[in-house]
Amino acid sequence: MVTYPRSASIVLAAILWTVICIWPPHFVAADGSTEDFDQRALARVATPPLGLPKVFIPGNNPLTAAKIALGRKLFFDRRLSHNRTMSCGMCHIPEQGFTNNEVATPIGVRGRSLRRNAPTSYNIAYLESMFHDARDTSLETQIFGPLLAREEMANPSIGFVFATIEAAPDYEDLFETAFDEPANAHNLGLALASYERTILSANSPFDQWKYGGDESAVSAQVKLGFSLFTGKAGCAACHLIGDESALFTDHALHNTGIGYNSDTVIRASEEPVQVEIAPGIVIPLARKTVTSVGLPRLRDLGRMEVTHDTSDLFLFKTPILRNVALSAPYMHDGSLRTLEEVVRFYDQGGHPNPGLDPLVQTLKLGDNGITALVAFLESLTGDNVAELEADGRSTEIGN
Amino acid sequence: MKLNYFAFSLATSFALAFAFSVASLNSAQADETCQSPYMSPITGQEEYVYVWTLGMEGVGDASDKLVTIDTRPDSDTYGKVINSLSVGDRHEAHHSGLSEDRRFLWAGGLDDSKIFIFDIASDPSKPTLSKTIDSFVKDTGGAVGPHTFYALPGRMLITALSNDRDHGGKTALVEYTNDGEFISTQWMPDASDMKGALGKENADGYNYDVRVLPRKNVMLTSAFTGWSNYMMDFGKMLADGEAMKRFGQTVTLWDLHARTPKKVFKVPGAPLEIRWARQDNHNWAFTTTALTSKIWLIYEDDSGEWQAKEVADIGVPADIPLPVDISISADDTKLWVNSFLDGTTRLFDISDPHNPKMVFEKKIGTQVNMVSQSWDGKRLYYSSSLLANWDKKGEDNQQYVKLYTWDGTALNQEFEVDFVKEGLGRAHQMRFGAASLYTSG
Repeated sequence: MVTYPRSASIVLAAILWTVICIWPPHFVAADGSTEDFDQRALARVATPPLGLPKVFIPGNNPLTAAKIALGRKLFFDRRLSHNRTMSCGMCHIPEQGFTNNEVATPIGVRGRSLRRNAPTSYNIAYLESMFHDARDTSLETQIFGPLLAREEMANPSIGFVFATIEAAPDYEDLFETAFDEPANAHNLGLALASYERTILSANSPFDQWKYGGDESAVSAQVKLGFSLFTGKAGCAACHLIGDESALFTDHALHNTGIGYNSDTVIRASEEPVQVEIAPGIVIPLARKTVTSVGLPRLRDLGRMEVTHDTSDLFLFKTPILRNVALSAPYMHDGSLRTLEEVVRFYDQGGHPNPGLDPLVQTLKLGDNGITALVAFLESLTGDNVAELEADGRSTEIGN
Repeated sequence: MKLNYFAFSLATSFALAFAFSVASLNSAQADETCQSPYMSPITGQEEYVYVWTLGMEGVGDASDKLVTIDTRPDSDTYGKVINSLSVGDRHEAHHSGLSEDRRFLWAGGLDDSKIFIFDIASDPSKPTLSKTIDSFVKDTGGAVGPHTFYALPGRMLITALSNDRDHGGKTALVEYTNDGEFISTQWMPDASDMKGALGKENADGYNYDVRVLPRKNVMLTSAFTGWSNYMMDFGKMLADGEAMKRFGQTVTLWDLHARTPKKVFKVPGAPLEIRWARQDNHNWAFTTTALTSKIWLIYEDDSGEWQAKEVADIGVPADIPLPVDISISADDTKLWVNSFLDGTTRLFDISDPHNPKMVFEKKIGTQVNMVSQSWDGKRLYYSSSLLANWDKKGEDNQQYVKLYTWDGTALNQEFEVDFVKEGLGRAHQMRFGAASLYTSG
């Protein structure tokens, strides 16, 4: 019989305890703080997941753990809307692809209608412009639109927002710690941008194949989809793929016909509305019944609303396609509910209209090609989705 | 913890026994028909109707308010608004419920989850605001949209409709003390956590109404939709295929004492109001589905098992009349069913609850939502508003409370209060009051 000294048992227990503590990675620190998440977020930005390029950090907003934590807290704080019902995170929901899978276009304070689908927050660190119409230029400044927009968070003024923050005891010293000054219009944007910049997701099966050299990471169908994406289907003309990384966007705006169709054809339709009254039970409801209980559909001219340039009519920005399988429904108005609907939309050449981008043409991919393209798009889901969801939920929702 | 629970169960059992005694003594003169069985009855003429009213932009102070209508037939102000108590701002006023002593009326805001507790006993003709609970979401750990307020002994049972994580339909059942102190949150069973209930294939985690049948120790909850839908423009939502997938499809049977779910029934199309039969040998309840326009019966079968089945159409379901409020007669033979989109009230003969027959229908207005009937069934009050963003637009947006008398064959209008002309807003739920409740002898 072999016996071990008691000290050996203690050492063994200590080793085991250490292993338990460090593996698997903890989502919440032992004291319940978000410190672990902040440190991992910093590391994620310093070394982005496979397939993503280096993250540009503006000189006026170096990334710190304190700013990330503060930005995360602000992002999920419902008190930052006029009647304390809406936060950024109510439309950019971590478990729903950092968008809202349950509505075509979200609603804001008092249920007011938004015209456009909530864009995902995944990988927005790389965006060169913000919003579907590219009306803002940086993560640091984009927050003021939603904070003040009547149909979004509806704050009556920016001063009102700071009064809310100053009155909340749980914000005591957080801005001072992060910025050495109280909350103001400048550092509010810096904090939110700091958190949003960390929502990086890649190292998808596609990345492991394309950039990691793992031939087994994706199926033959995905590889066929990739060849169509970069070849016959022409998707990569706008959804760019580089040699060392890919963002799947050209940062430009295009007319695919979705905007034209939404603003003209659908808005003027007299056809019955197909209403799903229970799972699998769809009935046509007279349009007059629908309009009797609904406000008129709002017009949406796209980029032209920003520039007043008629050549920008119905132009909308090319989205990043990473994690696209998680961010349904699709297009700027949420009018297409599945990736297959999106691919079929492009396969038929978009919606014809006077400004249709010449890059959008009939493709005739066939069912096999469409299925392969969908499989390819589904291969773009990063491997850290659960981590980013847990990261978001590591802060208490502000109520 | 277990000791506390046991103590609570024991106390509840005694309270139930007491309530039964009272109910038995007053079996011929009980409360108006849809209230908690733990509640003191109004046996005769209701003297006041309290209308929890949504503020309406451009109308009066645009704020939610508790409106008091004088319903004393011999009063100079009969059929008139005699008090209006604004709470400031719009909160999506919706349902309200009386405490079991009927001294306080709890009224909720589905939007920002505020709860207003009105004292209606000190001066029943002029309620005052006694307390405001603005911490409901924080108290409950994230439940949003307090809906039904249902009196239990010493406490208020509250259904929520949504949550603070995604404004979807996953939600909870909540309890507060009568003093407004938070007690507990019970998240609804869903496939990820059935809490011991049967029916995993049906469970959706949604909630709407709650009603209890103490003598069988059972409780029922129904299922509507989350904040994103009930706050959305109705027309926009009907055209949104994703949004329409987010409606509740379930009724849940609970162990009342233990507050544990036992069985989740599949009831497609958003089952809303629940009404238990009142008679001692009637072990059944009705609910109606808003989207599929059906009457459903929840009943105990001959073997003692609880079942759910569809028993009748309401209007033409293909037209989506949108059944909303229902009211059962005290003798369990009649069921009034309002449908919002066609503005119609229908009376069903439910003498055989397994085969309801429509025997009467009447259009009340361009839109109609709630119906409250007196205990003798001779007076029915109707109100107009469903939800601020679901109400009809333009001239069809009639906002009213109307009193009709029912003579067994026809509804005859007694009075109408136009809530827009009066500068009040959107009339929603009506509760009855009477000064005699608070006097002895």
